[in-house]
Parts: sequence; C-alpha cells; structure tokens
Amino acid sequence: MAPQVELFLQQLLNGLTIGMVYALIALGYTMVYGVIQLINFAHGDVFMVGAYLALSVIWLFMSFLPGASFLVMLLAVFILSMLGAALLGGAIEKIAYKPLRHSPKLTALITSIGVSFFLQNAVMLLVGSREQGVPEVVPTTRFNLGAFSFSLIQLIIFATALSLMFFLTWFVKSTKLGKAMRASSENMDAALLMGISVNRVIRATFAIGSALAAVGGALFCMYYGSINFHDGYLAGLKAFTAAVFGGIGSIPGAMLGGILLGVFEALGAGYISSEWKDVFAFLLLGAVLLFKPSGILGENLPEKV
Amino acid sequence: MKSFFRVLGLLSAVLLFCGAGDKNEDVVYIGAAGPFTGDHAYAGVGMLQGVQMAVEDANIKGPVFGNTKVKLLSLDDQHSPAQAVLASHKFVANPDVVGVVGHFNSSCTMPTSAIYHEARLVHITPASSNPEISRQGFDTFFRVCATDDIQGPAAALFAFSKLGVRKIAIIDDRTTYGHGLAMEFEKKFRELGGEILSRDGVTQGEKDFTPLLTKIKSERPELIFFGGIYPEFSLLIKGSKKLGLESPWMGGDGVYDVVLIKLATPKFAEGTYATMLGADPRAVPEAKDFVARYEARYGEIGSFSTYGYDAANVLIEAIRRAGTKDRAAVLREVRSTKDFRGVLGLINFDEKGDVVGQSIGIYKVENGKFVFIEEAKP
Repeated sequence: MAPQVELFLQQLLNGLTIGMVYALIALGYTMVYGVIQLINFAHGDVFMVGAYLALSVIWLFMSFLPGASFLVMLLAVFILSMLGAALLGGAIEKIAYKPLRHSPKLTALITSIGVSFFLQNAVMLLVGSREQGVPEVVPTTRFNLGAFSFSLIQLIIFATALSLMFFLTWFVKSTKLGKAMRASSENMDAALLMGISVNRVIRATFAIGSALAAVGGALFCMYYGSINFHDGYLAGLKAFTAAVFGGIGSIPGAMLGGILLGVFEALGAGYISSEWKDVFAFLLLGAVLLFKPSGILGENLPEKV
Repeated sequence: MKSFFRVLGLLSAVLLFCGAGDKNEDVVYIGAAGPFTGDHAYAGVGMLQGVQMAVEDANIKGPVFGNTKVKLLSLDDQHSPAQAVLASHKFVANPDVVGVVGHFNSSCTMPTSAIYHEARLVHITPASSNPEISRQGFDTFFRVCATDDIQGPAAALFAFSKLGVRKIAIIDDRTTYGHGLAMEFEKKFRELGGEILSRDGVTQGEKDFTPLLTKIKSERPELIFFGGIYPEFSLLIKGSKKLGLESPWMGGDGVYDVVLIKLATPKFAEGTYATMLGADPRAVPEAKDFVARYEARYGEIGSFSTYGYDAANVLIEAIRRAGTKDRAAVLREVRSTKDFRGVLGLINFDEKGDVVGQSIGIYKVENGKFVFIEEAKP
C-alpha cells in the first residue's frame, strides 16, 4: 500500500472510532428531542458521569479482583455504568423536567443548562478538579493488516457501538415500549388517549439515552486514558452537532451524523490543521443549519423518535 | 482541596476583621494569585504553600515594622485571564495590600501586569516564563524564575548536541506560555542547523490527538517537542506510544510534574525529557533545610514552591526595609534588592525586572521518576 493511502485509511479509522462515541451520545439527544422536543444540554454531563462510573468500576475491580479477565471487567463496566446512568437520567427527568412539562419549551431548555452546571460542579466537588488517569485495562495489542494497523480498544469500540445501535433499532421498531415511544413522539395526546403511559415512556427514553451515553463515556475514558469533570461539555456539544447534522429526532440520523462528524474532524485535523479540529465540527453545524436545517436524514424520516 | 481554600478564604476574612478590631496590632497584606483550583491547581497550590511558609517565617522573626504583622491574602485565578484580572482589581482596591506574588500562568500575568503597573503595585511572578511580559517595560513587574528565551534555547541545545537529534516535530497548545516556549525552541533549533518536520497546535482540554499523532508518525521525527502543560502532554505521550510512534518526547517546565508520569503511565512516560526553571531544590545543598521543613509541613515539595517562597521573601524583606504601607516605597525597595539570599541562590534583578543568572535544569523520566540530568547555564 502506498504510504499516502495507508495514512488516509489510518485517519479514516481514527475518525470512525471517535465517530462511534459521538454517535452513542447523539442518540440520547435525538431520542429525547423526538419525544418531548427538548435539547437536553445536561446529556453531555451524563456522558461524563458515565465515564466516572466506569472508572469507579475499574478501580473496584483492580482493588478487589485484580486477576479478573479484562472481558469480564469490561462487561461489568458497561452494565454497571449503564445502570447508574439510566437511574441518573430517569431521576433528572423526574426532578428537573417533569414539573416543567407544560411550561414553555425555553424553560426546560434553560433548566437543562442548569442541570449541566449542577452535574459538573457536583462531580468536581466529589472527585476534585484534576485530570483522572484511567488504568490500562484493555491490552494495548495492535493488529496489523499490512502497513495498516488498529488496536484492540478500537475493535471493542466498534463492536460495542455497532451492536448497541442494532439493538436500539430493533428495540424501537419491535418492542412494545419502542412502539409506545414512536407513538408518543408522533402525537403525545393521541398516544395518551390510546392508553399509553406517556410519562413512563418519557422516563424510559431518558434512561435509555443516558445508558447509551454512559457506554460512550466508558469507551471514551478507556480509549484516551483520562477523564475530567468538564469533558462532558465539549463531547456533548459535538454529539449535539452530530444529532443536528444527521437530523434531530432521527435515530439513524444520529448514528450517521456521529460517524460522519468523527471522520470529518479526523481528516480535517490530519490534513489541514489539528488546532482547527473543533472549528471543523462547528463549521459543519453552521453549514447544516444554514443549508439543510432538517439534517441529512431528517426529511426522509417523518416518523420521529 | 476546594473546601480547604474556602476555609482559608473564610479564615482570612475573619482575620481581617480581627485585625481591624485590634487597635494595638496592625497588618499589611501580601497578595498571592494563581490557579488554586482547576487543572493547574497542583502547581498553583505548591506555589501558594511556599508563599504561606514565607509569611509564617516572617512573623516568627517578629513584626515587619512597628507593630505590623504581615498576612497573606490569596485569590484564585483558576488559570483564567478573566479571573486573574478580577483578582488583580481586588488587590489594587485594598489599600492594605502592598505587593503581590503572582500570577502563575503567563496568560494571566500578561494582562494583570498592566493593571498593577497603573496602580503602582509591585508584583513578583514565581512561575510565568514568557519573555514578552518583561519586554513591556513595566517597572512594577519582577520575576524570580527563568524565562522561555533561556529555557527554549537550552532545551534545543540539549536536544541537538547531547541527544544528537536533527529532525523533530513541534507541537504547542497555543497559549501565551506554550506557544512562546515552542517558538524559542524552534528558533534555536533551526539556528543550530536542525530540521523542523512539522509545526502543529492543539487546543487545551482536547482529548483526541490521534489524527495529529497519526500524521506525525508518518513523518518519522527523531524527537517531538511540546510547548504546553502536562494534561495534554500526558495524552500525547500515551496516544503516541499506543500508535506505535516511538520517538521520545520533550517538554518545558509546564510538564515537569509528577502527575504527568501518573497520567501517562510510567511505562509510556519512560524516556521523556523535561526542562525546568532552575535546578532541582532537592539537588541544591543550600536548599536542603528548606526542602525538609517544607515537606514536613505540606508533603512533597511542588515544582514552584521554592519560587513562591523566594518571591514572597523578596517582597517581605522589601516591606521590612520600607517600614511603611506605602506602595511606592515598597516598590522602590524591591527594585533595590541586592544579593538577596534565596533558597536557590542569590537573587538580583536586571532593569527589566527579570532575575539575573537564570539556570535551567534538564530532567528525564527514568523508572517512573524525573531524574536530574544536568543544569544548563546560558
């Protein structure tokens, strides 16, 4: 393989990897928006809490079960951080957003910014403001295909993110709760008349979105090996960009938007300038809002969840 | 840590009241400003403890003049230029503050130096190394640490002649400090005849450096120099080794921190070089007593504790000599400081306020620790 091609593929892989994480977070934005038309700005911080939960599980494992296989540990990390974040997401909905269900949309939006500040500062007071290192739990094995190479953690990110996306697609399409979610997003009043417990559906949407973000957080902190209380802010903004890019309210749109955003950023950083990385992401947001506000998949999917 | 400073803040407020109530005893304040919370808190707190120790030592010696005791007023600038400006205005507005030790980061010292200059309030920075600050010509500015136009070239010379590298990549974090340091390094390295393969910038707080590192890997540099601070540096080191990029890394005083090795993990940090302003206080015999006393009080000595201590002592001695709360008199006395015996040696200031006879220590990570290699004196 020519070195140029190899470099391009390598950058593409870098982009796809971080894109998977963006997609996982973007799903939560898009699902919540689909159901109650709220941009939940606290979602990025739920992602950050998810990363800290993952870090705590890793620490627990290292202190009490140092011999455990890393696959068992990974499974425990995912399950426990998902559970914790789902509870957190449900609680946030109940405490902060439910009382505002019939208030103007802007009230809930501003509340979500307040929740975001609350989560950031609560975590800062709990664990301190320093960067926390994440122990290397995944072996740093690299697989080589000719000159092209990828690492085990990248493989894990792909496998986890893709399987969760498939699972979510199936869940929304085929299960009773998934159908209720789609019905509520289409017309909340009609869904209520049909006997759907809309409040339960909304809470479940928050819980599922938060659980996905927590997996994103767990993968993120293991991939980069460090986490800080304000990491949710930028990651949240990027995922929000991805959700808008894909078409806010559309589940496949969020997946595609996240992945494309990651690729766009990586190629921009690799070929143009790395310090302009965030600029590329937000230029994309600006361009989408200007030229196609419904996003790439927003129009094709009138049924929004 | 945060709650500790809350308590400290409350305590200083209480002390302020006590001071005002007590007619027989007067107080004069020295300000201290730096990042006492946030991502630079570790280094900032190390500096603050140095200042605190100097204040306590001074009061053991007795009142600075008449029946006036010296007290510390610390304000957190959180490594943010906006907060730093706010803090400087608070110091300026308090007539009992006659001098400031700070700020810590060059990006905070730069804007505040103009405010202190206008208010004729002397300030001594223990850590800001950007050479541009003293080139502004403010007579209220002093600095006890070395500058980046000494540090950058010393690092470049070491890399070129001692390590024998010729092709390097340079990254910086685009801050007043990081960018300035990288520029000085680059200038000297080119002068020596080395080749700069690429020059990149990153954003502070960023996590994903894989695209940049993938690009740098394809350039095959013999060394990568980073102008910036340890959180980004640790991610760059770790990310590069995971990509199979084996080139060693080098950074300035902003990365010289034990936490760097913890964050980057000892395995990956091994072989990383860092320059530091001045020699290691633990390697200087005169500083032995200070290091022992410091460590008994606060635990492991921070990278800038010595500079905080020295800067505060220069200021306190000037107050003693001035014998008044008059800011102009204190400023005059700081300016006339001659052969002041600091922890790391004699302190004299040149006409720009920079310390004379700066030296740079060069360190390498070996077995998970920073090991002192040599002292570079320009």
